[in-house]
Amino acid sequence: NPKSDSDLKNELVSLRSTAESGVISFNNDDVSKFITSVSTPRPYSLIIFFDAVHLHGNSQLRLPEFRREFRLVSATFITNNNNESNGTKLFFCEIESTHSEASFRRFAVESLPHISLVSPTTENLTESDQMDGGDFTGLAESMAEFVERQTKLTVCSIQRPPLISKTQIGIIVAIIIISTPILIKKILKGETLLHDHRIWLVGAVFVYFFSVSGTMHNIIREMPMYIKDYEDSSKFVFFIEESEMQLGAEGFFVGFLYTVVGLLLAFVTNVVVRVKKLDEQRMAMLLALSISFWAVRKVVYLDNWKTGYEIYPYWPSSWRG
Amino acid sequence: MGGKSEPAKSESMATKPDLLNTSFFSFKSLKLKTKQQELLLRISILGLVYILAFIARLFSVLRYESMIHEFDPYFNYRTTLFLTEKGFYEFWNWFDSESWYPLGRIIGGTLYPGLMVTAALIYWTLRFLRFFVHIREVCVLTAPFFASNTTLVAYFFGKELWDTGAGLVAAVLIAICPGYISRSVAGSYDNEAVAIFALLLTFYLFVKAVNTGSLAWALASAFGYFYMVSAWGGYVFIINLVPLYVLVLLITGRYSMRLYIAYNCMYILGMLLAMQIRFVGFQHVQSGEHMGAMGVFLLMQVFYFLDWVKYQLNDTKLFQTFLRITVTSAILVGGVAVGVGTASGYISPWTGRFYSLLDPTYAKDHIPIIASVSEHQPTAWSSFMFDYHILLFLFPAGLYFCFKRLTDATIFIVMYGLTSLYFAGVMVRLILVATPAVCLISAIAVSATIKNLTSLLRTKQKVSQTGSTKGAGSSKASSKVTLDQSQPFQKNGAIALLVGVFYLLSRYAIHCTWVTAEAYSSPSIVLAARGAHGNRIIFDDYREAYYWLRQNTATDAKIMSWWDYGYQITAMGNRTVIVDNNTWNNTHIATVGRAMSSYEDDAYDIMRSLDVNYVLVVFGGVTGYSSDDINKFLWMVRIGGGVFPVIKEPDYLVNGEFRVDKGASPKMLNCLMYKLCYYRFGELTTEYGKPPGYDRARGVEIGNKDIKLEHLEEAYTTSNWIVRIYRVKPPTNRL
Repeated sequence: NPKSDSDLKNELVSLRSTAESGVISFNNDDVSKFITSVSTPRPYSLIIFFDAVHLHGNSQLRLPEFRREFRLVSATFITNNNNESNGTKLFFCEIESTHSEASFRRFAVESLPHISLVSPTTENLTESDQMDGGDFTGLAESMAEFVERQTKLTVCSIQRPPLISKTQIGIIVAIIIISTPILIKKILKGETLLHDHRIWLVGAVFVYFFSVSGTMHNIIREMPMYIKDYEDSSKFVFFIEESEMQLGAEGFFVGFLYTVVGLLLAFVTNVVVRVKKLDEQRMAMLLALSISFWAVRKVVYLDNWKTGYEIYPYWPSSWRG
Repeated sequence: MGGKSEPAKSESMATKPDLLNTSFFSFKSLKLKTKQQELLLRISILGLVYILAFIARLFSVLRYESMIHEFDPYFNYRTTLFLTEKGFYEFWNWFDSESWYPLGRIIGGTLYPGLMVTAALIYWTLRFLRFFVHIREVCVLTAPFFASNTTLVAYFFGKELWDTGAGLVAAVLIAICPGYISRSVAGSYDNEAVAIFALLLTFYLFVKAVNTGSLAWALASAFGYFYMVSAWGGYVFIINLVPLYVLVLLITGRYSMRLYIAYNCMYILGMLLAMQIRFVGFQHVQSGEHMGAMGVFLLMQVFYFLDWVKYQLNDTKLFQTFLRITVTSAILVGGVAVGVGTASGYISPWTGRFYSLLDPTYAKDHIPIIASVSEHQPTAWSSFMFDYHILLFLFPAGLYFCFKRLTDATIFIVMYGLTSLYFAGVMVRLILVATPAVCLISAIAVSATIKNLTSLLRTKQKVSQTGSTKGAGSSKASSKVTLDQSQPFQKNGAIALLVGVFYLLSRYAIHCTWVTAEAYSSPSIVLAARGAHGNRIIFDDYREAYYWLRQNTATDAKIMSWWDYGYQITAMGNRTVIVDNNTWNNTHIATVGRAMSSYEDDAYDIMRSLDVNYVLVVFGGVTGYSSDDINKFLWMVRIGGGVFPVIKEPDYLVNGEFRVDKGASPKMLNCLMYKLCYYRFGELTTEYGKPPGYDRARGVEIGNKDIKLEHLEEAYTTSNWIVRIYRVKPPTNRL
């Protein structure tokens, strides 16, 4: 029983009012209900974002980012066209692959990210206007441009939520202003934590740990802490075998080993010698030595495995026999 | 404020004489006195280290031949040749029309002349002494020579920081540390070769000046700084680290007259001297990167002034009020001055490279030309391990020792170590800058540990023999404590630890030798690979191609290639290039990137507008050489797209993946770079059991085997297909 155009429209509006940022989640039934079984020209356009939850982890596709930007465009469109008739001419939707594979096939979606515009006159879904690569690069702004170009509707400029709100800024500024004279006074008197060299030592060791565990690498490359095994998704992979790359966890693990061995050396030569009891001293020594030995071996083994190099000494050839 | 520094000074002075007494090689049979023995040993060790540092860097000469490596050194070599042939003034005024066609490049004003002048001086000295060497040999051996000198500086620095023992260990460690060797093997004739020496020398002289408060040392460090500025852009690290160090000393209440003299003299004179380098010019008073140093300089004057007022006033309450007013107004005035300077454009904002150090994600998003360089990539832990090996384990221990004995000098080395280590984490190439600091701090750890342990062993003997331990290790709390400990364990423990330390050090030596020989001694202009039977195969395609250009093209021919090969083409092929490794004009590079990533028709128009006669591409599909132009291609797209929006990266990707096989994007399969690399490749069988057109570098069968060229024709392909040169056809006659 085909519904009238206004019924469909009202239904979409009500769906939109409950959806987050006004992006309606479609499944296969919705696609046929609102698109294929409605005769053209439809009274509305639909812009569809194709999403795949299982690909959110792939940092190259940047799906979550695009999804966020898509929602931003949607929210902006709704706020700017709320009371006008234009507001019901375009609806933002998304289709998730796990439950709606049929829709993916209908739209002939081969690669993600994929955003299609179903205009009122579109008959064949595979011929819907696809947002091409260039429209993604500028994110929300260029998506809005695409929408405006294709539908002749206005989205208006994108309003991004500020990182920190104005009250927060005010509080931070106030704290800084109030604390500055106190800090200056304390620094001049020499009674801050700055004058305790143990704090500096801890800070120094931390900077060391931060650097050698490749944390900057993780931040710049946005590496995950670990990844799931391609073949068996219940297994986790913590180490990857490539010398230029690393995962977060492996860096921290090795950095931790470096730091432990280094500090143990300092500990043995500076603290253990002061232990009065012979047995305790002996135990501490042994423990420190064996831990260091294990850690060094582990790191060297891991390094050889990761880089694929096998390091050997150059003995004189006559020694090899 | 001034009072606290006194004990620090006396402490550091007191530690010096005791090493002479603790020398444990006191065999009665030798006739030399203990002091003389120690001196003899020290000098011979230093001499051996000096030689070791030199010969460890000669692997590349032994394995290949005496030649210049990599990319940038070829430019340095070319300019040095020019300098020795034409003289200094010609060199200074040189306008080079062979690069950056049609723009050209003012060489004298856009390079750091330190390296070339150094090499030329060595060359002229040798000529004067009647050693008739070729300038190339001088250039090849400059880096090892300066590495040897660095070991000496490291020795003196270590001595200044801790004691002679630490100095010796530091010299040994830095002589073979892979982090340093990577940039100073014979043939790597680059700015860093002399710059690390200059860097360490400046730091040493400055620390010496701070320790002694002597004008002479401060002056020397200003000259060291001048040499550094003349040699490498990395001098920005010095001009920021030194003020930071001074600031920390001020904050921690270590202000002293010595510091005042050292910093002011070094800053003012160093700045004036640095302005003599044309490439640097007035940046010291104009660029934001140098403003910190000026701010600290002014702060220093405020401190001095306050000290003076305090001395004059004799009233604490009055002084407190005065202090408050002065500090507030000083900060206000400084803030306003910086604000006005920046707003009016007098002080330039920070450069991209500097930004990318402070906010490392900046370069990735904004400056592809910086992010594209492989040595600008962030460092993974394995690179640290590869370049530092056991020094990484020793570093925290060394930090601990430094904090146990905080002096002005140890504070400096800790700050140097930590800042440079942080930067090393941001960019792989900066491991080089951190290396001296890591070596020095590790040397402190090694030396202090060994000294502690051996003095443990020795004091017992002395106790049993003479009962007097006066003077032995008086500065070390540990050795005092050990006296009242029971004896048998300590000996065992100390021996076990000593064995452990020496085992680690021997592993370090093995690691360094191996890394030097296998990883860091390849010239990258000649490639080596292992054949099926373990034999070494040499690919000399680059030089083959460049010599072909030299012999077979018109002398005014313009060659277009990606910028990596620009210096080599001008130096070896002696032909004009469109872009080269001096990436000063982003738009020009982006134009080349655009041409490479466009279809042949569009590329032809671009090439015509640049008067290009030949296009050169580097291709590793036959040999499996992975750093070829196809693997660099995405960067060409990114750099091109950064200026010309018609080039869009997603057009060349499929699902965010870069492919060259059948699944590649149509734009990729038909762009100029793809066509030039894979032209006629579809007919070639590269590997047994694989279809024709199998790309060994990517491990796939290529997607477009039927490539037809319309406006270009193949001119030359080297024996292993690594370099392919195409001639751009002139326009066909129009009727």
